[in-house]
Amino acid sequence: MAAITEPYYEALGRGRLVLQHCKACDQAVMYPRHRCPVCHERDLGWISASGRGVLLSFAVQRFGAPSGFDADTPYALGVVRLAEDVQLLGRLWPDADGEWNAYACDAPVEFHPAAPEEVLRRPVAWFRLNPR
Amino acid sequence: MTAPAPMAEAAFVGIAELPSGRYPDRSFMGSLVDVAVEAVRDAGLSMTDIDTLLLIPCLHSAADQADLVFSRVVEELGLAGRAKSSVMLHSGGSTSDNTVRTAASLIAAGHARNVLILQAEKWGSAPVGEMIDMLTANGIPREWEKASGLSFNAVGALIARRYMAVSGATAEEMASVCVALREWARLNPNAMYRDRALTVAQVLDSRLVSDPLRAFECPMMADGAVALVLTGAERARASHETWVRIAGSGGCVSHYSIGQEPDLAVLGWPTASAQAYEQAGWGPGDADIAEVYDSYAAVLAIALEGLGLAPVGDAARMFAAGDFSPGGRLPVNTNGGLLSAGHTGVGGGTALLAEAVRQLLGRAGSARQIEGAARAVCGGSGGTYMDSQVLLLERVSR
Repeated sequence: MAAITEPYYEALGRGRLVLQHCKACDQAVMYPRHRCPVCHERDLGWISASGRGVLLSFAVQRFGAPSGFDADTPYALGVVRLAEDVQLLGRLWPDADGEWNAYACDAPVEFHPAAPEEVLRRPVAWFRLNPR
Repeated sequence: MTAPAPMAEAAFVGIAELPSGRYPDRSFMGSLVDVAVEAVRDAGLSMTDIDTLLLIPCLHSAADQADLVFSRVVEELGLAGRAKSSVMLHSGGSTSDNTVRTAASLIAAGHARNVLILQAEKWGSAPVGEMIDMLTANGIPREWEKASGLSFNAVGALIARRYMAVSGATAEEMASVCVALREWARLNPNAMYRDRALTVAQVLDSRLVSDPLRAFECPMMADGAVALVLTGAERARASHETWVRIAGSGGCVSHYSIGQEPDLAVLGWPTASAQAYEQAGWGPGDADIAEVYDSYAAVLAIALEGLGLAPVGDAARMFAAGDFSPGGRLPVNTNGGLLSAGHTGVGGGTALLAEAVRQLLGRAGSARQIEGAARAVCGGSGGTYMDSQVLLLERVSR
């Protein structure tokens, strides 16, 4: 498992979002897998993600967070489909007022990393609205 | 070569259920034994007729779940040396659908004669925080999503937000789903909220837990227990006026991680229901009732649309119009569902399935029995709504 998670989280710690990539069938893979889920070969490497995508949906957790997450509330989780046609769950940066009212389903979003110490605390990909 | 023996069709002949809610004095094993004895008597069988036990897992305790895995129930029921097989099956909220398919297959293939399906849960009496953490540690990918702080209410909220965006359903219409289920629960003496009315205003006044979900839109964890008995149709015919057959089934496992579901407002239902209706030879317009997994309003609305029981995008609106309420066009979740009868973990789907069998046998009691109910659409899902399972049930009379 470490072989899969380490390159991903090492890159995230440097403020980079990377995806697994199957060299055999030229397919982006996310979440990272032990073998390519399309062609089932093992020839998997890593590529830089565009970071651009659309927000499929999001939720703002206010009460009943899992243990250890109460101090983070409120926080927003979003499902993002990247331009590479793969998906992941990430956190969403709040609007200037600390809420998430500017976000909507299908809004364009972009990867915008948290500071390295925050990524160390919570290894998560963060996204913000992409006005372009 | 001799011709193969004709396949024995499976028949539901017995059911039993304990009331759902908070019952700290009710023991886990005692609950299982109580529903087992009652269901076997209800089926007109002796306990020693049971050759196969299919056990639906509990989630409140790993130790109690281990008792299921390691056949404790066989000793408790006096079946040691007699039971051919005792096995726990688990696919989260859809377990009962997969268990019924398994039971029917064992009967059809001649591997079992009389199958007892058992479920009990103690969620309602367990510490809520521990249960939230247990759920967060199971069914959410720990490598990729756990660090974000994903909770199961947030999973429901992600699905609800997408459904509302795509369908245009309003917060009032989503709340009306919970209200309709409460109206059914008020008619069910086994429901956790049988004594508490609910209005749309109360739902909308409750605090936001995980936007867009409010507190009264999140299921309440409950204790509960259900048992079902299946036998071969020939045996059913010999001793019963009426039984229930499985006309068709379908399923679709659409994802594991909520972050990997490509269409949060559709899930696997269209694929699953097409398989089931094709096998049954009838369609959604032929259904008299529907009993469909409903841990959140959007999950139920999406399922009803995928099952063809509501036009795409209209299910929440139809709940608001009363179409699925007592006296409405199509009775949906006549026991009150998980949202109002109580979320008994994996057992929430089992209770809905038992309610379908009960309705088809004409034994739901005067308050909520649907007159002439002959065909039921049952839907199960669970976890991150990773799978959509469909059972189509029919009443058979001798």
